[in-house]
Amino acid sequence: MKWFSTDHKVIGKQYIGLSLFAVLMGMVLSLLMRFHLVYPDTKVPLFQALWPEGAPGGVMTPELYLSLMTMHGTIMVFFVLTTAPQSGFGNCFLPPQIGAHDMAFPVLNMLSFWTTALSFAVLLMAFVVEGGAPLSGWTAYPPLSGLGKITGPGQGLGQDLWLVSIALFCAASLMAAINFITTVIELRAPDMGYFDMPLTAWAWFVTALISLFAFGVLLAGGILLLLDRNLNTAFFVPGGLIVNDRVEPRSGGSPILFQHLFWFFGHPEVYIAILPGMGVVSTVLSTFSGKKVFGYRAMAYALLAIGGLGFLVWGHHMFISGINPYSTIAFSVLTLAIGVPSAIKTFNWIATIWGGRLRFTAAMHYALGFVSLFITGGITGLVLGQPGLDLYFHDTYFVVAHFHLIMGVAAIFAIFAALHYWFPRMYGRTMNETLGKVHFYLTFAGVYALFVPMHFAGIAGNPRRYPDFKEYEFLQSLLPLHKGMTHAAYFLAAVQLLFLYNYFRSKRNGAEARGDVWGAGTREWRDD
Amino acid sequence: MTNAARTGQTLLIVASTMLFAAFTSALVARRAGGDFGDTPLPVWLWASAPLALAASWAVERGFTRSAAAAGAALTASQLFYLGSLHIAQVDQAFRSVFVGAHAAHAAAGACALLLHGRSARLFWHFAGGLWIYVLALLGVWT
Repeated sequence: MKWFSTDHKVIGKQYIGLSLFAVLMGMVLSLLMRFHLVYPDTKVPLFQALWPEGAPGGVMTPELYLSLMTMHGTIMVFFVLTTAPQSGFGNCFLPPQIGAHDMAFPVLNMLSFWTTALSFAVLLMAFVVEGGAPLSGWTAYPPLSGLGKITGPGQGLGQDLWLVSIALFCAASLMAAINFITTVIELRAPDMGYFDMPLTAWAWFVTALISLFAFGVLLAGGILLLLDRNLNTAFFVPGGLIVNDRVEPRSGGSPILFQHLFWFFGHPEVYIAILPGMGVVSTVLSTFSGKKVFGYRAMAYALLAIGGLGFLVWGHHMFISGINPYSTIAFSVLTLAIGVPSAIKTFNWIATIWGGRLRFTAAMHYALGFVSLFITGGITGLVLGQPGLDLYFHDTYFVVAHFHLIMGVAAIFAIFAALHYWFPRMYGRTMNETLGKVHFYLTFAGVYALFVPMHFAGIAGNPRRYPDFKEYEFLQSLLPLHKGMTHAAYFLAAVQLLFLYNYFRSKRNGAEARGDVWGAGTREWRDD
Repeated sequence: MTNAARTGQTLLIVASTMLFAAFTSALVARRAGGDFGDTPLPVWLWASAPLALAASWAVERGFTRSAAAAGAALTASQLFYLGSLHIAQVDQAFRSVFVGAHAAHAAAGACALLLHGRSARLFWHFAGGLWIYVLALLGVWT
């Protein structure tokens, strides 16, 4: 393979490879966190070998736990959920689906991938610099993230590297967005109107539009935060702050301002992660039901509506940040309004398979799994969209369960569906169907075993981000629940070995596949 | 210029607009903090506005090298101004951000004019207009 290729298919596979590496790394970090939650005092020599300062005597410090949490979230959100569904599969299949030979700007496309790879490398460097990785979470809220190493290990160079990495990622995503949108607008086949495009192409198009409007705002917030950290400006760090007996010499910045900038990007980011999956699921359900997508135009308009409304609801992440109560009502109503296009999509998926001649392939299993997870995770979104309930739930495991189901696992199921579905087109072979289905059932069970109990921990008032919840008497009774979740997490991770085996084995030894293997009928399956 | 190049440039302008919109929102919100100074912008910085307009005029007349030179002069004046700012004061910190971000755009625009000639004029016109906006904003709000 040519490393610096400008071929969209090669670049798509490079993005998918990067995401595969990232997801494995993110998963290992989550396993370490789950282990620490239930066995916080257990001495693990490996921890000390890996992090001599973060785990003295083999026992993980709270700071190390928080750095693992930060890196897990950052890796998963940016380098898995944002990267594989859009840039990975989009690069591979957008041009052929709309009758183009390549993306509009192939060199920019290559540059975009390598900037993403550089961004990932810079992020990983945070693990090995003095102080280690940052601990301010994937949201990097100031003042913690704005003050430098005085606030703890990882808040020095580690946090700076995190910010540089995110700035690079923003640049790469903007390059990709410009490329995707231009490709759809200018390189569509002459006989293909917008409403002739497959829903996958629609989803990539809308996702690129969201990226175009969102990433510039995150970049602005990141630049201001870097200045606060390194040049003692006062954009976000408040005045008169006393940290470790030292008064911070700032004139009075606004931490809430950073939250506004971050979440103006952050909520659309949820749709950047999930919309490509919606496109994939629509295509897979249609293909394996032997029917056209029910309500095609409504599905396309629903994608646009979700993308548009996504920019109007950032305040629902800030109900407990002290924003104006009138604005909470507006943000709440708009948040609940997203339920309408989401319901249109869900009902149309059900209507698409209704009365169809269903073929339960592995890809079809994952697509149905996506619908299940989208409903389960989406319903708790309606709960959290109400300010009164969010006041209680916001800093608990209820939110962790919600966003993992709706944003994380649902999108990952769409990635599995896409891989099984398009594998023949990518590698000329099929993945093993039996292994795929076994992997689906075990993963599906593991996901629900992990995240349903997490809702109950949240309802019981278990705060998130706490490295050792057992220190609090009222939470001690939750230990068996947490042990169950940790065992489910380890089971889930072990099951992924099946997927890896199937993926790598099928690339070499899978059954050869030519032409339109599934009878999909869309352009990417043509042998031209 | 191909349709794809024109569309790509337009989208780049949208992305840049969002960056400056975010900076503007931050400025408007942060100004409520009450710790802004009242130092006026130097007169010579206002004089850089005609430089941006002259570059746009030149590129429309086909003098792309002259336009690029005007763009480079604009960038140099911005960098000179950046060196004079005291970034610990929040109003001047905002000036640094706006002027620094615009200097990056002006430098990129000048390079694009040199490399691609009139094909890059759309972005240059945007960069010139953006500088007028930045001057007006900083003149009124910081």
